[in-house]
Amino acid sequence: MTVQSASGGVTQRSSSSSLADVIDSILDKGLVIDAYVRVSLVGIEILTIDVRIVVASVDTYLRFAEAVNRLDLTQTGKQQGLPEIMQNMTKDTASGKAKGAVQGVLDAAGEKLRGIGGDRSEKEEPARRRGKEEE
Amino acid sequence: MAKSTARKEKVDSMTSASKKQNGAIYIYGIVPADVEVSPDARGVDGTDDGITLVEHGEIAALVSEIDADLTLGTPDSLMAHEEFLDATAAEVPVLPLRFGAVMTTREAVVDELLTPYHDQFHAALEELDGHAQFVVRGRYAEQPMLFAILEENPEVAQLADEIRDLPEETTRNERIQLGELINQAVAARREADTESFVETLEPLSVHVSVREPTHERDAAYVALLVDLDRQSELEKAVKDLAEQNADLMEVTLRGPMASYDFVMTARQDTERWD
Repeated sequence: MTVQSASGGVTQRSSSSSLADVIDSILDKGLVIDAYVRVSLVGIEILTIDVRIVVASVDTYLRFAEAVNRLDLTQTGKQQGLPEIMQNMTKDTASGKAKGAVQGVLDAAGEKLRGIGGDRSEKEEPARRRGKEEE
Repeated sequence: MAKSTARKEKVDSMTSASKKQNGAIYIYGIVPADVEVSPDARGVDGTDDGITLVEHGEIAALVSEIDADLTLGTPDSLMAHEEFLDATAAEVPVLPLRFGAVMTTREAVVDELLTPYHDQFHAALEELDGHAQFVVRGRYAEQPMLFAILEENPEVAQLADEIRDLPEETTRNERIQLGELINQAVAARREADTESFVETLEPLSVHVSVREPTHERDAAYVALLVDLDRQSELEKAVKDLAEQNADLMEVTLRGPMASYDFVMTARQDTERWD
């Protein structure tokens, strides 16, 4: 049984890792079998997607720009002052409202993988669609 | 999920030999020979045929017999590989293999993998005994992150203001420029936050390995090899980090898990690390 350590102020997660987390660990880490064995390897077809995100892509830039554009600056105004906004934001974050307007490439890749292999989706981070939680 | 592996007396691992036509042997990892595998552990092929041991001397390989025509890499098989190894790592030392290691027969596993590298694997397992990997990740919440960046970078805020009400089609270059500036600011924050996480967690760890970010809002992504006796200390430290950073990011801790980030392929001539 996997013991999840998340507790207290740490975000609670379901008892299993998300698919994205798993991909980060097992596709390019761990011992490489063909460094040890050459003769009796079996070439098995592996469906993998190159999920390593390009952190600095034009897509990323446009997403950030769009997200900034969506920020409700009137609410912040220069009148309200940032610390106060940050407090409000924090509350929202704690209740999950301010999260995830923009989804990363990884989530999308995770979705693709789910598409291939069936219906694990409920167990993993549900991919939230851009814009759904806009106010 | 079934409890996978516990240290106990030997089990007969050869009983189910080659019952599959066109069979092949999928290998999860290497453990000490004196472990016992739970009969209901789920394998990468999604069947309950069981994960068994192929033993040699003081070490053993954790394997499943699979159909050689199987296509691997579905979410289920990826999850099964990691879940089984992580459950194992909570109980006994294990050297995880990268996903997708398949050999022809059990005999080949003994002759080509376990026998030639017996001492090397055994020494690594001794070293790993009592330790497991944990992964700490911080991820910025989007809006607080953007507000903080606009606040500390007036030129970014000004550019955002300038293009806010202009049509997207005519300001594509400016939008890319804006996003790039934000990305740079995120990268700078990430570097600082990663450093601070490492500084806090290093004293609790035997080894620390900083992972590459795999999400554009990753604040810190750090793998730690930790003495299992110090797990609660680690949990407390991560909880404190989470509280200190609660206004900007979410912090998660996963583990104990297999030591993916800390097993190294020793032979230089076959070095495959990028």
